[in-house]
Amino acid sequence: MLLIHCPYCDETLPELEFAYAGEAHIDRPADPASLSDEEWRDYLFIRSNVKGTHAERWRHIHGCARFFNALRDTVSDEFITTYPAGQARPDLTIKEAAE
Amino acid sequence: MSRFRVQGKGRVRHDAPVGFTFDGRAYDGLRGDTVASALLANGVHLMGRSFKYHRPRGPVCAGTEEPNALVGTSRDGGAKGGRFEPNTRATAQELRQGLTVESQNRLPSLKFDVGAVNDRLYMLFSAGFYYKTFMWPRSFWDRVYEPVIRAAAGLGKAPDTVDPDRYASRYLHTDVLVVGAGPAGLTAALAAARSGAEVTLVDEHAEMGGALLSDPGVGIDGMPAWDWIAAQLDELDRLGVRRMTRTTAIGYYHQNMVGLCERLTDHLDTLPDDAPRERMWRVRAGHVVLAQGALEKPLVFDGNDRPGVMLAGAAQTYLNRYGVRVGDLAVVVTSHDSAWHAAFDLADAGTRIAAIVDTRASVRADLTEAAARRGIRVLASHTVTATWGRLRVKSVRVAPVRDGKVQGGYRIDCDCLLMCGGWTPSLHLFSHTKGTLRWDDVQQAFLPDRSVEACQIAGAGRGLWGYEAALRDGIAAGNAAAEALGRDAQDSAVLVANDRTGSGVSHKELPTDGDPNRARAFVDFQNDVTAKDIRLAVREGMRSIEHVKRYTTNGMATDQGKMSNVNGLMIASDAVGKAPPQVGLTTFRPPYTPTTFGTFAGYHRGGQFEVTRKTPIDAWAEAHGAAFEPVSLWRRAWYFPQAGEDMHAAVARECLATRRSVGIFDASTLGKIEVSGPDAVEFMNRMYTNPWTKLGIGRCRYGVLLGEDGYIRDDGVIGRLRDDLFHVTTTTGGAARVLAMMEDYLQTEWPDLDVWLTSTTEQWATVALNGPDARKVLAPLVEGQDMSAEALPHMSVAECTVAGIPARLFRLSFTGELGFEINVPARHGLRLWEALMQAGADYDICPYGTETMHVLRAEKGFIIVGQDTDGTVAPDDANLGWAIGKAKTDFVGMRSLRRPDLVAKGRKQLVGLLTEDGAVRLEEGAQIVADPDQPKPMKMLGHVTSSYSSATLGRSIAMALIEGGRDMDGQIVHVPMPDGVHKARITSTNFYDPEGERLKV
Amino acid sequence: MTLHDRDLHGATVTIEEIPPVARFSLRVRDKDRAAAGAALGVDLPDRVGDRAASGDRTLVCLGPDEWLVTAPEQARDGIVRDMAAIRDGAPHSLTDISDREITFRVAGPAALTLMTIGCPRDLRRLEPGRAVRTVFDTAQIVLWRDGPDSFRLDVWRSFAPHVRSLLEIGRKEIAAGF
Repeated sequence: MLLIHCPYCDETLPELEFAYAGEAHIDRPADPASLSDEEWRDYLFIRSNVKGTHAERWRHIHGCARFFNALRDTVSDEFITTYPAGQARPDLTIKEAAE
Repeated sequence: MSRFRVQGKGRVRHDAPVGFTFDGRAYDGLRGDTVASALLANGVHLMGRSFKYHRPRGPVCAGTEEPNALVGTSRDGGAKGGRFEPNTRATAQELRQGLTVESQNRLPSLKFDVGAVNDRLYMLFSAGFYYKTFMWPRSFWDRVYEPVIRAAAGLGKAPDTVDPDRYASRYLHTDVLVVGAGPAGLTAALAAARSGAEVTLVDEHAEMGGALLSDPGVGIDGMPAWDWIAAQLDELDRLGVRRMTRTTAIGYYHQNMVGLCERLTDHLDTLPDDAPRERMWRVRAGHVVLAQGALEKPLVFDGNDRPGVMLAGAAQTYLNRYGVRVGDLAVVVTSHDSAWHAAFDLADAGTRIAAIVDTRASVRADLTEAAARRGIRVLASHTVTATWGRLRVKSVRVAPVRDGKVQGGYRIDCDCLLMCGGWTPSLHLFSHTKGTLRWDDVQQAFLPDRSVEACQIAGAGRGLWGYEAALRDGIAAGNAAAEALGRDAQDSAVLVANDRTGSGVSHKELPTDGDPNRARAFVDFQNDVTAKDIRLAVREGMRSIEHVKRYTTNGMATDQGKMSNVNGLMIASDAVGKAPPQVGLTTFRPPYTPTTFGTFAGYHRGGQFEVTRKTPIDAWAEAHGAAFEPVSLWRRAWYFPQAGEDMHAAVARECLATRRSVGIFDASTLGKIEVSGPDAVEFMNRMYTNPWTKLGIGRCRYGVLLGEDGYIRDDGVIGRLRDDLFHVTTTTGGAARVLAMMEDYLQTEWPDLDVWLTSTTEQWATVALNGPDARKVLAPLVEGQDMSAEALPHMSVAECTVAGIPARLFRLSFTGELGFEINVPARHGLRLWEALMQAGADYDICPYGTETMHVLRAEKGFIIVGQDTDGTVAPDDANLGWAIGKAKTDFVGMRSLRRPDLVAKGRKQLVGLLTEDGAVRLEEGAQIVADPDQPKPMKMLGHVTSSYSSATLGRSIAMALIEGGRDMDGQIVHVPMPDGVHKARITSTNFYDPEGERLKV
Repeated sequence: MTLHDRDLHGATVTIEEIPPVARFSLRVRDKDRAAAGAALGVDLPDRVGDRAASGDRTLVCLGPDEWLVTAPEQARDGIVRDMAAIRDGAPHSLTDISDREITFRVAGPAALTLMTIGCPRDLRRLEPGRAVRTVFDTAQIVLWRDGPDSFRLDVWRSFAPHVRSLLEIGRKEIAAGF
């Protein structure tokens, strides 16, 4: 059972309070009607399925109830960072350079 | 007192005898004994038969890694008797008064077992025999191989009664968790606790001290070892360290979560009331110190499995901890210094040591001198090539080895043979975390390398040998843990007298001058895997140790390779011709030791197996004899049988009564969501297919919710209570899912909308009244609302009071009859129900359950999402095209309705089915074909989704999803079922009152 | 002092269902929080888990824009009225959930230990005076810590018997010295 940091509660809490919610940073198109079948297919079904650092959504469903985003390593399962929904994906290279 | 018990020796209580039976014979042991130590004290070595060859076996260890001495245990008679458990390790089970022990895997008796014929046929059972022997003919599998193998193989018999015990679980958060309370664990715990950290120290044995319990002659800081242990435990207690004995760390998971199994009652003579048998602890530790020590390796030689052949360290433990000599005349065979100390302790306690056979050419002088002082014959550079003795070893053949050649050997008599092939650091838990290991050529062992968790490994677990080294390493590990947690650590020293340091070498099989193909040199005792099997596997192409393991089953027994992994690897790597690390080590997986299912289940059994949600009206249904069915986590009243009625009769009566006068139904489980805020209507427009802008306040509408893929996800009636307030209902099973989906869109796609969602499923109890007399029953109870059809038309909602209770009153119908759903605060649900029952008495009001609800809605062709839809049904497929707001430019799933596969011809469409013979009720799920005589595989057109006997219509009705079904109206299709093929005609789904006249009242 | 509970033999814990109170879920945007606080007479606490009270009204911050409002039953209509008065100027959602949950009080020297049979959180870090939404076994709860040895659990009505039965089993274990 993982520990997950909720960026809204600012606490690191047991996974049992959280629910996974799929890949992050896939915005619903502003005007779906204008999309071709192929574009709409990509939005619906095509996911990156990365091995390594994955941007994904979680929800603190049995806590503050907020959706938020996380960068997680799909090999080690380790959470690298979590951040509020709507915020851009953190650039890890900048973070590493600063350290 | 038995001859093998040494008076006054050990940690057992010599003044406290404990009676038990083994295979029906009564024995005495002492308080503090294990089953194994008590039997050994009585001269009994033979405790079991092996898995495959049924060879006689005795204990080889003194701990939980025991592969041989597995027994069945139970409590004696009485109210709390029984509790049979197979495969209990005799070396770990503490003795208790009245314990009943029986041997396993033998017929008819332990001493004479017909299954032992397998041992004579061992050539047939070589590596991979499963794959080679039982391949053909196919028909033999079910009739011969499977039943015969099942009966002959295996260990204990599974219990045939329900486990009467209870199991518990807790979460625990601690700064430092120390696993193992041997010398390194004790000093680590103390160092961490002294820094102020909150420390938890666990050990799988009944008492703490680890190897020091078997080495009382060691002195630490001027104290005898056992006094030193007592002093440490005192200080740990004073510092508030949580100490847990009989507690096994079974698994090590992400972020320092460690699972512990604590055995609470198996050692007790009588069971206290309310005591759980075992408890699973889910521990989250800031830092973990693994101080699990090392496991002694057997040596691999012909006949190394006879009763009386055991590990030298085990013999030392039986002597020093339990006061039991494992024999009168011992031969010691070793490749490590540690066995010499065992020999000396035994000699000093009165066992004659016939010889110490050391495979090494030269041995430390202090050891040989100590042997000489005791008159023990030393055979350096010797090997063991065979043993004799059917039920107990009686002699051993030893032979000198010169320049790698085995010279002529000779027999030495003995009644026990004590072996030591070195020690394997216990790194199972570390490996659970994906911590990496590296091969150490000097120690010929895998040692911990890179750790991925916040963890330290201390003592023999990382290859250190000798007490002073382990104690000091424990202090360092405890201090490192403290510092990692930001605490100040204090350095402390420790001094050891009479330390038992040592070193050794590792072997593959011991060299022999015999025929290696006939050698019964066991590597995995429990699974009967020999050195020959491993070499054969390599010859047959297995190169990876993982393949060797699966082909030979080496390491796959209940001891999980604790005895056999490294010996197997040494032999395999020799056969492959590569260094051990290139051949690799098999993966360690939890649990560390066999663990009961009960411990994993914890509280989740019987009434607590899972949540059973009940409505506020459930108690009434139960009191009135309702049959119940589970619907998601809810239990719902299914039907209300009267005397002599079966389900069919009850449902027919309930249906007819509802259509004739009035029926009452508990709809409280319906999901309810309050959608509130200035942008509520915009939000509803975006979520549901329907248009909401023009829905008047006080009116309601049937809403359809799609996934973004265009398929139906949920449906329900939605009422508008204010301009900015909607009362949304969902399906019972969909409540949580729909709310989560709505929250997802609201929070992440449309955070600008001023609207909020609140689950009110359990705020409201909901009672549905349906039937031509529904208004007559309800109206007298209503205040604050005109109940006329003009003031409260079909599909409207009002806030008023019903039976004096504030209510949200919906007029709607899921039956085709005049219908109302009355929502009141949940605490008043039962009162409302009873008031309606009373008011309905004059109208023969009839309570009905979910089955009647299903029939009534099917007669009207109303769908149940999840029954008539399956996640691939679009609105048009289900005849719900009318529910789509034609003027809308977007809603969830709208774009998908133009997807090529959703507009393609031949989609499955929901239609009605009327069987030619109205008495035939089709099976739900039955497949539908056009021509039942076509060759197989037949073209299947679709399947039956709903099917009922309709008392109202006097015949069966069904709904089905059929390819292009709407264009086939009136056509005949065929439905093959087990009792024959039935003809059915495709119809509309609206079987009853198609014009809806019954609602116009 | 350690929170460890090594000496629980004879330690007691009581479990009781406590009478219902008026309970509302309040949702409001940041910009309108002050107005909501003024209407309720209690400033809305802004850290998840924090509690604030004034008079007979208590507010708990359950999420960044979510508050649980509790008050004695007779205060219900007043709260509805006070909030309705500001709806136009300060849009919000106030939903009566008084009947949605049942509340248990778990109190006594062994209360913290009893909570650990179902609560995966590190309860040492939930200071007295705070309240959070979390889980107990498979049920979602709002967990109030009223004191070192005193908790309240708001449990959805239909999950309450399950939670109660687990607490009773755990209580008996503790009473038996296990």
